[in-house]
Amino acid sequence: MRPSHCVFRSQSVPAAPCSFSRPLCWEVLSIKQQRFRFKLLAFVLFGLFALLAVYGVYSINTYGNRWFAYARNPRVRAQKQNVTAGSIYDRNGILLASTVDGKRVYQPDEASRRAVVHIIGDSEGQVSNGVEGFQTAYLYGFKSSLLERLGYLFSDTPRRGDDVHLSLDSVLCTEITGYFAANPLTRGKNGAAVVLNYKTGEVIASVSLSAFDPMNMGSVPAGSEVYWNRVTQSLYPPGSTFKVITTAAALENIPNITTMNITCNGGLDVDGQAIRDYGNATHTSLTLKQAFTKSCNNIYALLALDMGDATLRKTAESFGFNANFLFRDFVVENSVYPTGTRSRFEVAMSGFGQSSIGATPMHLCLVAAAIANDGVMMEPTLLTKTTTPTGAIRDTFGPKVYRTALSPQTAGTLQQYMRAVVTGGTGTRASVDGLIICGKTGSAESSRKGRDVTHGLFIGYIDSDELPYAVCVVVEDIVDGEGGGSTAAPIAGEIFKYIRDHKESFTH
Amino acid sequence: MRTKDLGKPLSRAVTVFFCSAFLLLFLRDFKWQGLALAVAVPMLNVLTTNLLPKLFPSDKLLLSLTNFLCALGILVLYDTNPSYAYAQAVYYFIGLVAMVICIYIIRLIRSFRFLVWPMMLAALALLVLPLLIGKETFGAKNWFYVGSVSVQPSEVVKLVLVIALARFMADRRMFPWLFFSAGCLGILMLQKDLGTALLYFFTTILLFYASSGNLALTGIGLAAGAGAAVAGYHMFAHVKRRVAIWQNPWSDYDNAGYQIIHSLMAIASGGLFGVGLGLGSPKTIPVYHTDFIFSVICEQFGLIFGCCVLLMYVALIWRGAAIAMATRTSFHGLLAMGITILLGLQTFVIIGGVLKLIPLTGVTMPFVSYGGTSLVSSLCLIGLLQGVASLNEDNLKEDLRLATME
Repeated sequence: MRPSHCVFRSQSVPAAPCSFSRPLCWEVLSIKQQRFRFKLLAFVLFGLFALLAVYGVYSINTYGNRWFAYARNPRVRAQKQNVTAGSIYDRNGILLASTVDGKRVYQPDEASRRAVVHIIGDSEGQVSNGVEGFQTAYLYGFKSSLLERLGYLFSDTPRRGDDVHLSLDSVLCTEITGYFAANPLTRGKNGAAVVLNYKTGEVIASVSLSAFDPMNMGSVPAGSEVYWNRVTQSLYPPGSTFKVITTAAALENIPNITTMNITCNGGLDVDGQAIRDYGNATHTSLTLKQAFTKSCNNIYALLALDMGDATLRKTAESFGFNANFLFRDFVVENSVYPTGTRSRFEVAMSGFGQSSIGATPMHLCLVAAAIANDGVMMEPTLLTKTTTPTGAIRDTFGPKVYRTALSPQTAGTLQQYMRAVVTGGTGTRASVDGLIICGKTGSAESSRKGRDVTHGLFIGYIDSDELPYAVCVVVEDIVDGEGGGSTAAPIAGEIFKYIRDHKESFTH
Repeated sequence: MRTKDLGKPLSRAVTVFFCSAFLLLFLRDFKWQGLALAVAVPMLNVLTTNLLPKLFPSDKLLLSLTNFLCALGILVLYDTNPSYAYAQAVYYFIGLVAMVICIYIIRLIRSFRFLVWPMMLAALALLVLPLLIGKETFGAKNWFYVGSVSVQPSEVVKLVLVIALARFMADRRMFPWLFFSAGCLGILMLQKDLGTALLYFFTTILLFYASSGNLALTGIGLAAGAGAAVAGYHMFAHVKRRVAIWQNPWSDYDNAGYQIIHSLMAIASGGLFGVGLGLGSPKTIPVYHTDFIFSVICEQFGLIFGCCVLLMYVALIWRGAAIAMATRTSFHGLLAMGITILLGLQTFVIIGGVLKLIPLTGVTMPFVSYGGTSLVSSLCLIGLLQGVASLNEDNLKEDLRLATME
């Protein structure tokens, strides 16, 4: 006879009655039920470990490059002793940075060095996330294969990192600093300009002022403002350039908005606080298109109040506000559209990009680019390829869609509105013969060191399949009475002119 | 092939891997200690996996897994700071002896019904000691010195905790374990040892669920724990700081965020395949030998190997749960499961902290982190588990004998 396989040698206490020491009595679990619970708990623990593995792989995959390229990573500093850094080239093959006799050397001409210093970075790591810092994995040979490393082990030549090729046009960058200096209204001002291809996302120019000379840094203290890359690190109030987003929200949420007439009586009282147009201008009854072209603040305040904070925020977020930008080639400060409950006055101000809304010039350029590209926002890229010390291609990089910001229909309407701004509105000074320019001006108020200042802004693009370029120009602290139309727009116009005159280098 | 038979091939792999790894490090500086470790560590593995099964039936896979993790710790410590590795190797040996003693204890003392009371009293007394004569390190006051040896009582008390929980839960007596657990938690809170408190709490709650199946009371317990956590967050500045660092370590690089940022940089530097044993800059990670030893492993061996280490712990949990399910008494089942839960949660808490999945709390990575008390107590837990496994095997043999007798 085969005995039952369960021989309980010392099966413990039988179901005990409730007593003082057993105030809570529950059914006695059979050994089978207990086994089932053990199994369940084991699977809970397995789940936790699966979570660890998935999270670990995910976070390294998403943030690994950023963590590695962090300026204070001691591993990079150690590698700098043993490896000769690779060179950096622009889109026309101009050498922007190289290592000569163990020293990092930039372009021979000082003005050219200063024009690209923020996007390229400096050898001392004062600029955060320039190419010199953010691409250390390539420049210092962390991407070399095991075979290559072994090769260096058995040869006398010092180890060398990879060369990095950029989509940047360094001459255009130098020219842009010249455009700032040429106009008395912008001469000596701090500011930023960025130009990118809205079909591919390739950045062809990025300038931040004021700048410094990377080969003569002794005089500038660490942490100084000149080390900021204003294009990617500074959040500006977008001012009236934000009206493209308010307009997009209105087009998508208010029925028949394009045919409606809206009355602007020159001033608006919201909960006891007054909203005035720039320079106290007064308009009469306007359509949305006219309000956009003339940049009427009151109407945009009314639109924001009409739609409500949540609707406007939703549209702003579809353009990338409050998103965590994780671009491959750029570290861009996240743009802010305030969350939480806000007063009616603040919501009204949001209609024209004031009240704690903040965006970087890079992001504002992406906003213009998304409209130009029929609603599709491309990820901004800088690297075109990297090459090994022997000249072989290590990696090539293609365009990537970042997000769909708006519908093609809304984008089409906005394109017409932005065209009207340049043909007969506030942005006429950005127009260029032979090109269809579209844009939006902005004059944003902000306070710096306790002083109210006004920044001039312009975002725009060339409506062309051949030259699909979008720009954003910001001029800080402009003279009273001036606006984006008289300060930033002319610089954008000069940039468009340069692109028109150097077509051959921008069409390939 | 029965899954338990995986033990032998794994044991051989462990021997070959660590012998060659220590030899590799020996080639770096030609110190005799490297050679000694290259012989001694694999030797301890061979001895335990071959001798122990001769003394009593044991789970070879569990043994090999334990040996792998201990040896990995010694290897990484030898690379980063040899003097830690020598100490750790000695503790490894002491721990193995303690493990064998624990196996015998489980085989000899079947019920603990009377012994558990003095054990609980001694545990509480031991736990209070650091508050009286302890030294504060990294904001927690959970150490004291006996001569020149530092002792962390919370590691020792773990053994008593699982035995007490299993004993009283098997007897369905609520008050003794409730008061003991609450007492331990209270003392740990006073020591600001949040990680260990968390560990004790969840072990108690999960084991209660396993013993009773009472979801309502388990839920109430979890809710009380969550309430205490929220209250703790608002009451204690150091808890708030921990959570803030976890949310954004980059905002305060030089002070609060320093540790976790260096951990993340190290893991990112390793990539998928690692920079290689003996290479990289693991010593730039703060407290690389205890809390952040997993970052060192990830930097040198890569994320894939890191996931394999996680898999080793998963296998360990699986063996522990299998042993628990094969027991014939409630007490031994709950004891085995309690040990499994404790080790599993401890690993999750520290690796989750190192990866920034959860706020960092300074508990050790079982078997791997540097620390004598931790290593010996973890090996003792494995000893208790092996003891239960040997009883299971004895029972099975008894069944077979009875069956063939007929």
